[in-house]
Amino acid sequence: MTSMFHRSVLALAAVALLAGTSIGNAQDKSKPLKKYESGTKEFWTHPPDDWFLGDETEAQKGLAPPSGPPTGASDAELANIIKKVKLPPGFKMEVYASGVLAARQMAWGDKGTLFVGSFGLGNVYAIKDNGGKKEVKTILKGLNMPTGLAFRDGALYVIAVDKLIRYDNAEANLDKLGDGKVVYDDMPSYAAHGWKYIAVDKDGWFYIPFGPPFNIGIPPTSVSQIRRVDPKTGNAEIYALGVRNSVGGDVDPRTGKYWFTENARDWISDDLPSDKLNMINKIGEHFGYPYCHQGNLPDDKFAMGHKCSEFTPPVLNLGAHVAPLGMKFYTGDQFPAEYKNNILIAEHGSWNRHKYQGGRIMRVIVGPDGKNAKQEVFASGWIEGDQGYLGRPDDIILAKDGSILVADDWAGAIYRISYSKK
Amino acid sequence: MRAVGFGILYATLLFIPAQAADNAAIKEKASVCSGCHGENGISQTENIPSLAGQPDQFIQWQLVFFRAGSRKNDQMKPIAEEITNEEIRSFGAYFSQMTPPKGAEDTDPDLSKKGAQVAAGRRCAACHTDSFAGTKGVARLAGQREEYLVKALHDYKAGQRVGGGVAAMADVAYHMSDEEITSVSHYLAYFK
Repeated sequence: MTSMFHRSVLALAAVALLAGTSIGNAQDKSKPLKKYESGTKEFWTHPPDDWFLGDETEAQKGLAPPSGPPTGASDAELANIIKKVKLPPGFKMEVYASGVLAARQMAWGDKGTLFVGSFGLGNVYAIKDNGGKKEVKTILKGLNMPTGLAFRDGALYVIAVDKLIRYDNAEANLDKLGDGKVVYDDMPSYAAHGWKYIAVDKDGWFYIPFGPPFNIGIPPTSVSQIRRVDPKTGNAEIYALGVRNSVGGDVDPRTGKYWFTENARDWISDDLPSDKLNMINKIGEHFGYPYCHQGNLPDDKFAMGHKCSEFTPPVLNLGAHVAPLGMKFYTGDQFPAEYKNNILIAEHGSWNRHKYQGGRIMRVIVGPDGKNAKQEVFASGWIEGDQGYLGRPDDIILAKDGSILVADDWAGAIYRISYSKK
Repeated sequence: MRAVGFGILYATLLFIPAQAADNAAIKEKASVCSGCHGENGISQTENIPSLAGQPDQFIQWQLVFFRAGSRKNDQMKPIAEEITNEEIRSFGAYFSQMTPPKGAEDTDPDLSKKGAQVAAGRRCAACHTDSFAGTKGVARLAGQREEYLVKALHDYKAGQRVGGGVAAMADVAYHMSDEEITSVSHYLAYFK
C-alpha cells in the first residue's frame, strides 16, 4: 500500500517535471531524464540552477559537474599536487600562491601586480610579491562571475557577464578601487555561458567571447560570437560567428590573428564531439555552432540542412570533454627554443564523461597558417581515478622571466612552471 | 596485518594532542557563533538555523559565500569577512561533529503527513538523503528549526538565496505553494 502510494506520487512528479515536453525516452519513471525547453527567452533569462543538465541522455545519464573544496586545497594537498604532476625533463612546478579561491583569468599590472578573476564567488584578487612572500588581497567583491580581466594603460578592466568595467590607476589603489566605470555594456545578461575572457590586441582592442545560454539550440542573435571591443570608445564589431562556449584565446605574435579555444556541446557521448582550437582568418567567419561540431559532425537536431563544409573548420580537434580554457602563445626565452610560438592550453577537464580527461596543460605545435597542427601533453596529473580532481587548470600567463603561471580554480591556487638546463 | 594495525593506532595517539589543541582554539572562536546559533550548535532563536550536525562541506561553502558577499546577511557579513580559510575548515569540522538536534514530539502529525507527500513529490531525499541528514555541500534538514526552514524556502523561491554551483533549490522552491512550504517544513523539523 505504502509503496503503491509512493509510486503514484513519484509518477505524478515525473509528469509535472516533464509537462509540455516529450516523455518518450523516460524509461525509469521515478528518475526521468532531465529535460528543459531551452529555446525560450524565459529560459535564457531565468534558467534553473541546473540548466546544464537539461539535455540529459541515456548514454550520459546522471553525470553532473563536481564541486570542488570550498576553501581550495590545503598546503598538504598542494604539496601532493606538486608531487603528482608530471612535466617534460628540465621543467619544474611550484606553488606561486594559494588561497586564491576559484581563480580564473590572470593579468599583469605594469608594476608587477598579478590580477586574478574568479567564477561564482564574484571576487577579483591582487597578488603582490612582498620579498618573495606572495600576498593575496581580495580587491573586488560581489561581481557577477568576473572570470575575465585585462590590464591596459594603468587601468584594470574586469568583465562581469554584461559589464566591462574600468578601474583607473589600479595598482596605486588596491585598497580602494571604488565602483569603476562601465565602458561597454551592450551585452546580454544571460548567466548560462555568460562568463567571459579578454585578449588584448596590438591596437588595444579586446577580443571577447559570447556563449549561448544553454547546451545546444538556436542561440539569441546577441551571442554565439566573438566581438572585438575598443575599451576607450565603447565601439564594437562582431568578429566571428557560430561559436559555442569559449573562455580562452590569444593574439598570434606572428600574424596578429586571434586564436581561441571552444568547448563543444554535451550529452552526445563520452567521445563526441571534440572540443576545438580555432583561428579567425578574416572578419565574419562562422565556426559551425549549432549546426556542425568538430568540423565534420552535423548536429542531429540543429544542423537544419546545413553542411559542415559551409563553416570554418577547427585548426585542431583537442578531444571530447577536455574543456580547453585559457591559452597563450609561448613568447618567452626561458623554455627550450622549440617551444617558441607554441600554444599552451589549460584544460579544465570533463564532467559530462564517465572517465574524466583533460585537467592538464597541452602544447600545440603549429605554424602561423594553422595547418598541420599537432598536440602533446605538457603537464598532467590533476585527475585521480575515473572522476576525481586534485585540481583543475583554467588559465595560463607568461611571467617576465619566461616561466609560466597556471591558475587552478579547484585548488584555489596559482602554480609556476619554469625550465632550467641541467 | 598486526604491524599495519599498530601503525594506525600509533598515528592516532600521536595526533590526539595536536587535535585537542586545535579544538580548544576553535571552541573559543565558535563562542561568537553560539550567541545566535545556540550552545552546542542548537539554535534557540527564531529564524536562526541550528548548525550542529550539518555536513562539513555545507558549513564551509556557506561561510565562503557569506565572506564573498554572494550570500547576503547583515549579521553574518562582518563576522565572515574576518574569517581565514583555515578557520573555515575548522568550523566545518567542528559543527559537523556535534550531535544534531533531535526532532521533538510531533505536535501536528496530520501536517507532517502532508509534508511527507510534498517531500516525496519534490524529491528532497534525492540530494538531502533518505534520513535528511544532508551530505557534502547539501544541508541537513532533519530537526532544523521549523520557521527557519520556511524562511529558507521562501528565500530560495524569491531568488534571494544562492546555493552552490549545482544546487537545484531555486528550481524546486519556485514551484512550491505556501501551503507546501508550511507542511514540508513541519515534517522536516520533526523528522526522526
